Amino acid sequence: MTARTITALAAALRDGSTTPRALLDAALAHVDRTEKDLNAYLAMTRELGEAQAEAAARMLEEHPDTASPLCGIPMALKDVLCVDGIDTTAGSKILRGFKPPYTGTAVQRLFDAGAVCVGKTNCDEFAMGSSTENSAYGPVGNPWDIERVPGGSSGGSAATVAAGSVPYSLGTDTGGSIRQPAALSGVVGFKPTYGRVSRYGLIAFASSLDQIGPFTRTVEDCALVYKAIAGHDPRDSTSDPRAVDDPLASLHSGVAGMRLGIPREYVGEGTEPGVRDAVQAAFRVLEAQGATLQEVSLPSTDVALSVYYIIAPAECSSNLARYDGVRFGVRVERPSVTDMYLQTRDAGFGNEVKRRVMLGTYALSSGYYDAYYRQAQKVRTLVSQEFETVFEAVDAIVCPTSPSVAFTMGSRDDPLSMYMCDVVTLPANLAGIPGISVPCGFVDGLPVGLQVIAPRFEDSRVLRVAHAYEQATDFHAKLSPYASTAA
Amino acid sequence: MTLSRGEVDHVAMLARLGLSDTEKDRLLGELEAILAHIARLQQVDTSALAETAQVGDLVNVMRADVPEAPIGAAAALRNAPLSDGNYFVVGAIQGTELDG
Repeated sequence: MTARTITALAAALRDGSTTPRALLDAALAHVDRTEKDLNAYLAMTRELGEAQAEAAARMLEEHPDTASPLCGIPMALKDVLCVDGIDTTAGSKILRGFKPPYTGTAVQRLFDAGAVCVGKTNCDEFAMGSSTENSAYGPVGNPWDIERVPGGSSGGSAATVAAGSVPYSLGTDTGGSIRQPAALSGVVGFKPTYGRVSRYGLIAFASSLDQIGPFTRTVEDCALVYKAIAGHDPRDSTSDPRAVDDPLASLHSGVAGMRLGIPREYVGEGTEPGVRDAVQAAFRVLEAQGATLQEVSLPSTDVALSVYYIIAPAECSSNLARYDGVRFGVRVERPSVTDMYLQTRDAGFGNEVKRRVMLGTYALSSGYYDAYYRQAQKVRTLVSQEFETVFEAVDAIVCPTSPSVAFTMGSRDDPLSMYMCDVVTLPANLAGIPGISVPCGFVDGLPVGLQVIAPRFEDSRVLRVAHAYEQATDFHAKLSPYASTAA
Repeated sequence: MTLSRGEVDHVAMLARLGLSDTEKDRLLGELEAILAHIARLQQVDTSALAETAQVGDLVNVMRADVPEAPIGAAAALRNAPLSDGNYFVVGAIQGTELDG
């Protein structure tokens, strides 16, 4: 039953055919059966979930009409999201045993709506990676083929929805870490406009790029979760005070008369032929729905990757300075404080984190700051301007989410080839604009994602285009082998 | 783009990463390859471009100057590797560096 949608489960909870506790138990049992293959979780939160299920049952009984559609529905949280008193490691050894003293805003909003937390999901260490192979606690299997990666960094959150253990989860997206794993795992994944969802209680990786968003089975479910977590939060100074329009109001409005742009640079030679075919077929579906498609150009796509791999490591090197063995996390004892810092950070961080801290420290260091960091900030402006120009001609952009389908574990051991995974997702982070991935086909049984991108604060438009496409196709309804046992 | 081993040592110290020699050797090669790729950034004419530090248009975000209850010492210290009363415990700052 846990492989069904939020919408279907919300109806089942109201017609009495199930209870929040029964759904929680089913979710936990399904995780038990699949975890040895998937390793999607770093911690199960049965005790918290049981208390929440009990509270949700009361809410549904007392206020069945006004209770949130999320009330009583099991869900999972990427392990970079803080929950009061619950182990939160960010996939890193350095935070082993860390129990946050508070709950983050996006998570708290879901809890207030009656969400039932099943567990914390596995991810690349501090969300740095595109395959979840950088987790200090082992890689995650892709439910469509466990020899392959689910994408990353929110691989556990993508895999658990794809495996049918929970109908939704939260992830975070700094350069594609929601959209790319959604594409590779055959589920819906949405990165809202920067500033729409509070980052309070999110363990920071690159603060000017990080954004929280949902993984779901359908776009309608995605709109429901987004609606619950979006909105101003005084605890995050980058949280935008503008009112959030109701994404459900325009969800069914279709794409007739809409102008959709296909960036020439996003379907280049780096794109696998099978992915290109699937995405081109998706373009024809949108055309059949009444949209006008035209080619557009984002000439700086190529350098956007370079901008990202200066700005993200620079911000990460600064954010991760707090892991010094003093206030939280593990410590390697040494008589001198400097030696304690050096040994704690060497022992606590994995290879990719060290690589990015080194790269970022270098780019910010005296003598290189202007050539690298300042230059990257300027080219970032160019990347944003190019999107603005394109959005004068089209309402939204449609393109692949990932140049490839899920790849075999261990096949991308060269850092640069891994960084290429995000070439068509990270420009949206640099510009702070919303993007979604929706299932649009299969290549040899492996899912392909269609990405939809719109201007800032046009989150509802992203959802509307993705929904129109989804309703005209049935790729989203196909279940992974692990999910069919939970149908 | 060539990076010297001395620069790797320097950056590792700035980042407070006590890397082994083997790690430094590996990172030297990896960082050189990444920096060579990133070098294309230098080709972009940015003379007319302002820097983007953040994508939002919010400036000087302040909260009301109203005191709120702090998190409290017990909660703040709960995750400390070593604490004593209301304090975090660290080794002496005037350690080996100043000896002799």
